[in-house]
Amino acid sequence: MFTRRLNSPFIYLLGFISLFLGADYLVHKGIQTGLEKYYGISSENEIAFVGHSHLMLGVDKERFEEEIGKKVSKYTIEGVNVYDRYLMLNHLMDENKNLKTIVYGVNPWMFTGSGLSENSYQLFLPFMNNELIGNYVKKEMDGFEYWQKKIIKSSRYNERLVSGSMRGYLGIWSNLKFGNLDPEKYRKRIENGDYRQINSLETNRNIFEKSINELTSQGINVVLLYVPTTDLYNDLEPREFSNELDYFRKIEKENDRVLYFEYLNGWESNYDLFFDPIHLNPEGQALLTEQFISDIEKNEEKLSP
Amino acid sequence: MLFSSWEYIIFFAVLIPVYFRLEQQYRNYLLCIASYYFYMSWRWEFGFLMLFVSIVNFYTGKKIASRNTGNRKAWLFGGIFISLLPLFYFKYANFFLESMNVITSEAGYDISNLYVSVILPVGISFFTFQALSYSIDIYNEKIKPETNLVNFIGFVAFFPQLIAGPIERASNMLPQFKEKHVFNFDHFKEGAMLFIWGLFKKIVIADRLAIYSDPVFNSPELYSGQTIFLATLFFTFQIYCDFSGYSDMAIGSARILGFKLMQNFNLPYLSSSIGEFWKRWHISLSSWFSDYLYIPLGGNRVPIRRWVFNIYVVFLVSGLWHGANWTFVIWGGLHASYYLVEYIGKKIISYFNIESIRNQKSYKYFRIFVTFLLVFYSWLFFRANSLSDALYMSGKVFEFSGSLWFGSSSVTTLLSLALIIFLIVVELLQYNKKIPVYINQESVFPKWLVWASYIILLLGISIFGISSNAFIYFQF
Repeated sequence: MFTRRLNSPFIYLLGFISLFLGADYLVHKGIQTGLEKYYGISSENEIAFVGHSHLMLGVDKERFEEEIGKKVSKYTIEGVNVYDRYLMLNHLMDENKNLKTIVYGVNPWMFTGSGLSENSYQLFLPFMNNELIGNYVKKEMDGFEYWQKKIIKSSRYNERLVSGSMRGYLGIWSNLKFGNLDPEKYRKRIENGDYRQINSLETNRNIFEKSINELTSQGINVVLLYVPTTDLYNDLEPREFSNELDYFRKIEKENDRVLYFEYLNGWESNYDLFFDPIHLNPEGQALLTEQFISDIEKNEEKLSP
Repeated sequence: MLFSSWEYIIFFAVLIPVYFRLEQQYRNYLLCIASYYFYMSWRWEFGFLMLFVSIVNFYTGKKIASRNTGNRKAWLFGGIFISLLPLFYFKYANFFLESMNVITSEAGYDISNLYVSVILPVGISFFTFQALSYSIDIYNEKIKPETNLVNFIGFVAFFPQLIAGPIERASNMLPQFKEKHVFNFDHFKEGAMLFIWGLFKKIVIADRLAIYSDPVFNSPELYSGQTIFLATLFFTFQIYCDFSGYSDMAIGSARILGFKLMQNFNLPYLSSSIGEFWKRWHISLSSWFSDYLYIPLGGNRVPIRRWVFNIYVVFLVSGLWHGANWTFVIWGGLHASYYLVEYIGKKIISYFNIESIRNQKSYKYFRIFVTFLLVFYSWLFFRANSLSDALYMSGKVFEFSGSLWFGSSSVTTLLSLALIIFLIVVELLQYNKKIPVYINQESVFPKWLVWASYIILLLGISIFGISSNAFIYFQF
């Protein structure tokens, strides 16, 4: 009778499902550990970069560490909006009580309500066990999807996260975008209306200010870094563009623990430094990193705890 | 309801135990209800359209077979005409009117106000052709008419193959509706394995390749020749994985319920001629056209001019079957031309008595490569949004000019290339009979490795699956 039971379809299925769930858990743990290394979460680093792809491709973390002499976390995710960044900051602070300085990537389009990845919450799924992130992703998904991600843990990942995890294990933070910007191609796109407009929402500004206030009130310095973008986009709405930059300058003026760096002159029209209109290529990254390190060193006193 | 959705998995998981627990006499009622639920969950009103086509063919079949029917041919053509009306209205009315408008507008008459605003019912070409084959087979006295309307409705609407095939024949399916299917764990395993492989091809490979190919085909003027080449290559594998993935999931689902559907794909990109390609690609449609169009036209037992005409008719109609656009017509025309050129090539080889080179392996690989290139080029016309786009792209695709676009995410593009290589490796193993192409065949690999590979496939689906895209062939 026992043998018959062992041969029953039910036992086979149960065995297969158990094996799958076991493999699923191991894969999840493996990818998650790599990602934590890649983003520098659960570390004791004093400096962290937080932002989206501009910052990801804009600053060379390894070169920065070498020159400044401190370990750095680079928690940058493509397409994250202002609220996502608020979460990332909280996630970092939950896991690392040693943070002294946050380099926060800013740009004139960051308060626009649309145009960034609408499902950027998916990039936080690996960390959904963190309470704040867990509540956020739960709000973004329907109940079925939420529980599916809870049970089948490998479904929290995608190729970008897997690639990040592999980079974490291999210790590769380089900008791997190659090639130069083809301005003509993008001019055509812009003529077709294919570009992101500046349309700042008050709610997004409030979240940003809340993030800054929470950081500075805990004694953390904030460096707002505008990684350059090309004049192909910068010149499309000059008045709005200028207003946004004034807003960042105002934030810097109002807060002793905030510094703001922008790189426009000499950068925005030098297309050889860009991969596309808003992202630097490795050559551009090297130059910006050098300039940024130099600017940080000049302001070392202000950035000391 | 998509096969690749959780909705379908739950629907099917509920259906299996209910189906096998039900008494035999009620099972086909359940299949009909499940199939109509499956179809009407998309748009309920089109369920009536399918029911209409089913009833028309059921009674047409009865009339044709009846001894009291005087003119069987008239009944057949009447049935075909009425069955094709919805297809023509929903699929071809605007194509016809737009094409007419090009001519009439030259003469100063604009008929664009006659265009109809309709949504194409999903899978209409599939269920219409399946229903028609029943009436024609009765007329040709290949089968006897079905007496049970429920069985017939179940045959036309059978949900696993309803929306994108395989286009089944009554002679294969109707007897299966009368059999008593008992739950068989081997069938379950075979069906589930095929379903998993189909799902992998669809949501991991096909949908990922679309991320690169879609923007290029939607705005080809923005991209270089190299990029157009890569996008066409990606589409070549995308359409294969999309459609064969659907077929695998259909055959797998049916197998679990105890039904055996026909094989629809058999490693088509390893064909060494266009003729062979059409014996391996969308087999159920190719054989449909062969049986119900090519042979009635006289097949190849006619003078050469008439045969050439027959070939063009079959391929052009096949093109139109896929879509009401001149790009599909050109795609069909290209394949007809390939077929004929190949025929001439064969004749030349025979004439010069150089048959020996045919047996050389390198010659075979060369033919596989050339056939692939020809098929690759034709997909460009199939996928292009308009004739002008197709012509523009066909001029650039072999130019290899400009810089290559690496996609919105180079990681995704690199993964896409890796997946194509993986697919080719799997297909080569299948071609060399190391692993089975379809169910019921033994693998040379140990069982534990087969099970482990399915766990890896499931993990691949879980991590890399993209779950939102509809199947390409639904639009046909």
